[in-house]
Amino acid sequence: MQTFNRSIHPGWLIIAPLLVLVVTLYLGPIMNILWLSFTDPEPGLGNYAKLGESDALLRIVWTTVRICIVTTLFSVGLGYSIAYAMVHCDQRQKNYMLTLLLVSFWISILVRTFSWLMLLGRKGLVNGTLENIGLIAEPIAFMRNELGVLIGMIHYMIPYAVLPLLVSMQSIDTRIMDASRNLGASGSQSFLRIYLPLTLPGLVASTLLVFILSLGFYVTPAVLGGGKVLMVAEYISVQLLVTLKWGTAAMLAALMLFGVLAMLWLMSKFMKLSTVFGGTTR
Amino acid sequence: MHDKQFMKETLQDSAKAYQEGRLDRRTFLALCGASGIALTAVMAGDAEAAADHVVMWNWGGQSEECHSSAIGDAFTANTGKGLKFDTSGPLEGKIKEMVDSGNVTADVADGDLFNAVSLGPTGHLEPIDYSVVSRDKTLPGYALEFGVSIILYGYAFVYDTKAYGDNPPQNWADFFDTAKFPGMRSLYKWANGSLEAALMADGVAGDALYPLDMDRALTKIQSIKEDSLYWGSGSEAHSMVVNGEVSMGMIWQNRGRNIENDTDGRYKLVNNQAMAMPGAYIVPKGNPAGSSVMQFIATAQEVPAQLALLDCLGMTPSNPEAFGQIPEDQQDYAITSAKNIDKIVYNDPEWWGKNGGDAVNAFLDAIS
Amino acid sequence: MAEPLEIGSLQIRNVSKIFGTFKAVSDVSLNVQKGEFLTLLGPSGSGKTTLLMMLAGFLDVSEGDIALDGASIAGVPAEKRNFGMVFQGYALFPHMNVRDNIGYALSVRNRAVAEIEACVDEMLDLVQLQQFADRKPGQLSGGQQQRVALARALCFAPPVLLLDEPLGALDKKLRVEVQEQLKVIHRRIGTTFIYVTHDQEEALSMSDRIVIMRDGAIEQVGTPKELYERPKNKFTASFLGKSNFIHHNDKVYALRPEKIDLIVGVDHQDARMNGTVSSITYFGSMQRVIVDTKEGQKIEIDIDVWRNANEVKLGDAVDLLWADEAAVELQMG
Ligand SMILES: Nc1ncnc2c1ncn2[C@@H]1O[C@H](COP(=O)(O)OP(=O)(O)O)[C@@H](O)[C@H]1O
Ligand SMILES: [Mg+2]
Repeated sequence: MQTFNRSIHPGWLIIAPLLVLVVTLYLGPIMNILWLSFTDPEPGLGNYAKLGESDALLRIVWTTVRICIVTTLFSVGLGYSIAYAMVHCDQRQKNYMLTLLLVSFWISILVRTFSWLMLLGRKGLVNGTLENIGLIAEPIAFMRNELGVLIGMIHYMIPYAVLPLLVSMQSIDTRIMDASRNLGASGSQSFLRIYLPLTLPGLVASTLLVFILSLGFYVTPAVLGGGKVLMVAEYISVQLLVTLKWGTAAMLAALMLFGVLAMLWLMSKFMKLSTVFGGTTR
Repeated sequence: MHDKQFMKETLQDSAKAYQEGRLDRRTFLALCGASGIALTAVMAGDAEAAADHVVMWNWGGQSEECHSSAIGDAFTANTGKGLKFDTSGPLEGKIKEMVDSGNVTADVADGDLFNAVSLGPTGHLEPIDYSVVSRDKTLPGYALEFGVSIILYGYAFVYDTKAYGDNPPQNWADFFDTAKFPGMRSLYKWANGSLEAALMADGVAGDALYPLDMDRALTKIQSIKEDSLYWGSGSEAHSMVVNGEVSMGMIWQNRGRNIENDTDGRYKLVNNQAMAMPGAYIVPKGNPAGSSVMQFIATAQEVPAQLALLDCLGMTPSNPEAFGQIPEDQQDYAITSAKNIDKIVYNDPEWWGKNGGDAVNAFLDAIS
Repeated sequence: MAEPLEIGSLQIRNVSKIFGTFKAVSDVSLNVQKGEFLTLLGPSGSGKTTLLMMLAGFLDVSEGDIALDGASIAGVPAEKRNFGMVFQGYALFPHMNVRDNIGYALSVRNRAVAEIEACVDEMLDLVQLQQFADRKPGQLSGGQQQRVALARALCFAPPVLLLDEPLGALDKKLRVEVQEQLKVIHRRIGTTFIYVTHDQEEALSMSDRIVIMRDGAIEQVGTPKELYERPKNKFTASFLGKSNFIHHNDKVYALRPEKIDLIVGVDHQDARMNGTVSSITYFGSMQRVIVDTKEGQKIEIDIDVWRNANEVKLGDAVDLLWADEAAVELQMG
């Protein structure tokens, strides 16, 4: 019993059936994708070789990664300020902000995307107003380009960025910051040496969450990009539904999956991932 | 949905195994119990349950109602069979997936004729039974082994009368001429129609388009890329125009009337050099209703159905018999009406069926 | 450790703190001598932490002024006050090891690494944590954490050290040990300590002076002995040690239990009161006897077990005697 307990935590036994279910439900499709990527249209590495041969594919992957990185930087950056404000304002304001944040999860991505067009499109509210008061002669191209995609994606992602940060900021004892001031640290010293390190796990969690979710964006780039910003998710969907190049689609899906796994693995070299996902350092 | 289908399929397989004695009774009953599906339903199978109706796979929205009134009612009167719908949109990939999975739930798909060329030879479609369906009740070349064109839609463009009122654009050459006609353009994102328009703008004759010169077409497309937006759905094309994002917009020609109405006539449809696209009925391999679907297709070819589809959906008849009967107030918006038929060009489903996938990817590469 | 400090006297003048309509600290005036060990003692909610927070600069004073060596510091922000502070719950930096925690104050002042190292080593010595220098706070016991907090607060040689219930989280035995260590450290470094506690024994055993607080105001200030021997009113008398209250000629007197003599049986001529023993509790070094007097009062008497040969039994009729100076006249209220 002693050795048994030491090798397998009893908690695992409780979730074992669930684990089996999850593994079969997820691993099955993943295996299917891998299989397709090596067999369709013909067996071999042909689909992967395309990455080297076709500028188009590389460009799509690069566009996707670039947009996701920028989205992540801005979402997490803005999310950090928002979470900070939420933690440090009074309870009533905090409740308002939390409600707004949660409500935004309920608004469909399609509605949000088209709202941006109304607001920032060529004939949108902002351009209309600026033109009316004579500040600009030509509408500013906020939408239907990469900037539009970024605005839409960042806006969608901010709530996702805020939540992990909020959790990690709320768990900081306010007296720790008082202590830092008391010991003579300036505001920026306290932030850089105490606050930032203490919120780092939340920051990493938030970054991972936003980046990974961004990779799967489809509607926003398709609509706000005006057709010129092609990201992997949309491309995969076209290959599946329109061009019937399932092998290419599977290869790209596998690439994304292993890209993300590689990223997690790299991060695990630098920090304990369990702290990021809510575990303790001890 | 998917899970349920999978479960039922598994059970039908095991029902067969049980009947053939490969599976013992207890295991079979346990399987049924576990999935919560009534034993009788499984044993009866799908075919009999479906035999009293055909399932049409279309794009939802208006089309459900229109297909019912235009075709379904007559079909029921003729055969006593009903019409049901799957409105999830029969994209080529979905048809392939349905047939590959062995769980075919639709009898006829409201697709494109080029789908018949790409999916037919790979064994995903039933051949059209031309002893029931008529080759003569569609345009020549649009009655193929695995699909027959029932309606025509098309690619035309609308322009902003305020921007170009005095000297309006007349053709695709004007559409691509941003020097003479400054302003934003919108084009279809999945290449179809856009490539042909580009070639015509570049001087290729409408009857000499195929095989498409891809390089030439893409060069032309890229020449106005800075001034172009690309849409992926009819509603997106509509909103780009109606919201004033573009001064000239390629649209699905059947939406022309709506756009003119929604902009109070500010935007006007140009049918010159419009590209007629054969919309086709195709039958997924192993469809549940079997051969009775051919009668349904034949019904849709009849003149009353053709005119009703035009009236209800704005889809133009492809049965030449109906061309002369297109009512006066539809003439401007029907691509094969007497007013338009001499100005239009015809899409080649053979070329698209064989080269469509590569063309779409090349197009996407060029615009992104 | 830095050279003996030249500064460190604090003047608190008519300081009040008002939260909304609630006066958490009201009109407190106090002079703290340099090098003094001053304790703020009072029940929970009496405004001790609030007063300390104003001294540290985390809270603004609503009224009044605070001065260090005569110069007002009311407008000086917390990070510029140079007051050391040991927080309730310690507030150690969980991501830094002991060494970095202790060196933090010098490090944010951009001192040379060697100087920081020297100071940290000296502090580790002072609080006897040398072998734990590389541990994170989470890997230390409560008592060890407390000592890290102390070392961290002392490393930049502050003129004043503020301690808010620093031993509150420790168990009784450990608390007595650390009290001893704190006293030793105070004596060695000579910094002014302002120490908050609600534990009267702690206050009595450690302080040079005690400030008794109640409802945000100072009730009485004095050395432990003064306060114990000469409580001003019932509140002080009962908050600091035990006390019987004797009413006589419209006056109230405090009478400590150990200052009463008890004689069994005989009607002694000097007897001030008499009654019957209703309870005896044995505490080892002494026993506490409760006598119900004829006047209907319960009087507590502590008897030195070792010296008192004649044993008291429940139900005994007894006489109570005390010297005149044992009874302290109290202000009313
Ligand atoms: N920020 C605040 N706002 C309102 N009331 C407060 C605040 N801080 C403390 N108080 C109140 O002031 C009184 C004194 O609190 P405190 O100084 O913490 O007492 P102590 O430390 O003696 O237990 C308490 O009644 C407390 O509720
Ligand atoms: Mg307190």
